[in-house]
Amino acid sequence: MPRSRRTAAAAPLLASALLLTACGSGGGSDGGAADGKAAGSITFQTWNLRSNFKDYFEGLVGEFEKQNPDVKVKWLDQPADNYAEKLSADAGGGTLPDVVNVSPDLSYPLAKAGILLNLDREKAAAKFKDEYTPEAWQGNTLPGLDGSYAFPWYLNTGPLFYNKALFRQAGLDPEKPPKNYDELFTTADALAKRSGGRTATLAGTPSIEDFGRYGVRLMNADATKFTYNEPKGVELLTKYKELYAHGGLDSQALTNTADQSGQKFLEQKVAINPGSAHDLDTFKKNAPGLYKELGITDAPNNTGKPNMYVMGLAVNKQSKHKAAAVALAHFITDRKNQEDFAHKVAVFPSTKGSLDDPYWTKDDGTDEGRVRVASAKMLKGAVNYTPVVLSEEMKVVLKNEVAKALQGRKSPQQALDDAVAQSDKLLKQS
Amino acid sequence: MTRISGWEKALRYLLMLAVLGITVGPFLWQLSTSFKGASEDIYTYPPGFLPEHPTLGNYSGVADIIPVWDYALNSLKVALTNVVTNLVGASLAGYALARLRFRGRRLAGLAFVVALLVPLESVVIAQFTMMRDLHLNNTLTAVVLPGAVGALNVLLMRNAFANLPYEIEEAAVIDGANVWQRFLRIALPSVRGTLAVVAIFSFMGAWDDFLWPLIVLSDSDHFTLTVGLNYLHGTFQQNPRLVAAGTIVAVAPLIVLFACLQRYFFRGVGEGAVKG
Repeated sequence: MPRSRRTAAAAPLLASALLLTACGSGGGSDGGAADGKAAGSITFQTWNLRSNFKDYFEGLVGEFEKQNPDVKVKWLDQPADNYAEKLSADAGGGTLPDVVNVSPDLSYPLAKAGILLNLDREKAAAKFKDEYTPEAWQGNTLPGLDGSYAFPWYLNTGPLFYNKALFRQAGLDPEKPPKNYDELFTTADALAKRSGGRTATLAGTPSIEDFGRYGVRLMNADATKFTYNEPKGVELLTKYKELYAHGGLDSQALTNTADQSGQKFLEQKVAINPGSAHDLDTFKKNAPGLYKELGITDAPNNTGKPNMYVMGLAVNKQSKHKAAAVALAHFITDRKNQEDFAHKVAVFPSTKGSLDDPYWTKDDGTDEGRVRVASAKMLKGAVNYTPVVLSEEMKVVLKNEVAKALQGRKSPQQALDDAVAQSDKLLKQS
Repeated sequence: MTRISGWEKALRYLLMLAVLGITVGPFLWQLSTSFKGASEDIYTYPPGFLPEHPTLGNYSGVADIIPVWDYALNSLKVALTNVVTNLVGASLAGYALARLRFRGRRLAGLAFVVALLVPLESVVIAQFTMMRDLHLNNTLTAVVLPGAVGALNVLLMRNAFANLPYEIEEAAVIDGANVWQRFLRIALPSVRGTLAVVAIFSFMGAWDDFLWPLIVLSDSDHFTLTVGLNYLHGTFQQNPRLVAAGTIVAVAPLIVLFACLQRYFFRGVGEGAVKG
C-alpha cells in the first residue's frame, strides 16, 4: 500500500519515545482473560476505511453485537496520514483500542514493547490458526518475538501496469510487455533511446521490495543483519545506474515517493508502474485517457515468489475484555466476512480456501476480472518482502544511498555497504 | 526618486508576474480540479485550468463522505478559542516581559525563546499522557491547551510593547495611572497591528494543525477539519477532485480572515520587526 510507505520525519522520534514510555510502564497489567465468555465494551480501530466502507463496518459491528449480546463495540477509524504516530502515542498513553488494524511493520514496535497479544501463545486465539493461509499467518509473525501478533486480514498484490500509447510512440510492440528483469531493462533502454529521452520507463528508484523481487537476500536468517549489499543487490543497483544514465528513469526519480511515482504514471510521463489490483479503479476515474491505453502484465520477479502486502488485526494485551476482543478480531477476519469485503474492493482474503472460489479463479472477461484472477494466482506462494524490522528511517537510508549511487557519487557497492552499515546500527539501537 | 526606464519597469512586472504564477498557480489548479467532472483527465500535461464539464458535484461528494460542516464547526471553535487565549495570554505576558521589572525577567524571556526551539514531535507523547491524566483526551479542550499561549506570539507582543516610547507611559504614571490602566488604555491600543498578526497566526496555526489533533482525538465526531479531510484519501482510491474540493473548503475561511485583517496585518509586521 503506498500510504504505508510515506516517510514521516517524526517517526523515529516517536518510536523512541514509545520505547521509553513502554520501558517505564512495561509489564504492567495484562488486562482480562482471553478465554471465557465474550463480554464487555470494546473499541475496534481500522485504518482509513471509513470513507468508502462506513456502512459496511457499521453493519458488521451490528451483526457481531447481535451474535454476542453481552459485547458492545465502538468502531473508530483513523485517517491515512501519521497512523504510526497515532499508534505510538496511544500505546505510550495506554489508550490503544482493544482491536487494532495493523500491518506487520506497524505491529513490530508495539509487540516489542509488549503491548500486543501473542496469538500463538494464547490458546483462545491460536485455535483459529488453521483457518488462514500459512503465508498470511507467517506474514504476521514477527522475527525475534516468537509468534504472530495479528489475525491475518486482507492481502494486497498487483500486476505491472504499462502505457501502450507510449510503447507505440517509441516503436515498441504494445502487446509485448517485458516479462522479466532483463527484458524490463532492455525495454527501458529502447524507450529512452527511441523517444529521444522524453519517455522514462520507471518513476522511482529501487525500493526494498524491488531488491527482494530481484532475488537479493535482504536479511540474515534471524533478522539481525541486513544483507542486501551482496553481489546480487549490487548487480541490480548497477543496472539501475545504467538506466538512469540513459534516461530510463524519470528525472525526479531520486526523490519520488511511491505516491508520486503513481502520479507520474497517471500523468503519462512514465511508461511502466507496478501497482495494486485496486489501482484499476483509480485509472478509470482519474485518467480515463490512460485507461484506454492501459496494458496489464505480471510483475517481474526472479524468485518465483511475487510480493504481497499483509494487513492484520491485532489484539491489545492490556485489554480488559480480551475474550471479546479476540472474538471480534476473529469475526472480522473469518472466511465469510473477508470474502464479503474482498467483493467490495479489489483486495484478497487471507482465509484458507477462499481464493479457490470461482470469483478469484474464473476470468469474467472484464479488465477487473482479469486483474483479479491474475493477482489471486500470484498470491499463492507470495511473500511480504519488506522486512518487518525495516523502519521508516532505514528506508530513507536506503533511498539516500541509492540516490548517491545513481548520481555517481559512490559506487553501487560502496553505497549499499554504507546503507547496510547504517541500517544495522539503527537496528541495534531499537 | 529617479525615473525608471521602460525596460526596467517591464522586467519588474515580469518578475512579479512570475512570482505570482508560482505562488498562485498551484492553488488555481486545485480550484479548477475541484470543479472538474468525472470524465476528465486530471493529470494532463500541460495542466488544463478550465474544466470542460464544470460541476459542483465534488463539493457535495465531500459532504457525503464526511460530515464536513460538523468538522468545520469543531475547527472554528478551536481556532477562535485559540485566537482569544493567544491575544489575552500573549499580550499580558508580552507586556510583563517588556515593561515590568521583576527578578528573572531576562531568564523568563530566554525561556520563551528556548520554547520556540522544541519541536512538537519530541514532546507530543508527554503532552498526550498529560492530557490523559487530566481526563481531557478526546476533547476539543485538549486540542486547544498546548497552543493556548504560543511562545512566538509572546515574543512578538514583547517586541511590540518594547518599541513604544517610554515617555508616554511615564506621562501616564504622573497622571496617576496604575499598571493595568497603562496596559489597557495606552499600550494595547498602540499595538493593534501586532495583535492582528497574532490573531491571524494563531487562527492559522489552530486551523491548519494536523498532528496534535490527530493524536489527541480518537472519536471521529470530534475531529477538526484538517484531520477529517484526511479521510478523503481513501485507502483504495484516490479522487483528487474530492481532495481539491476539500482543500478549498479548508482554505476559504483563511482567505476571508486575511482579507478582513490585511490592513492591520501589514502594519503589524512592520511594527514589531525592525525598529528599536
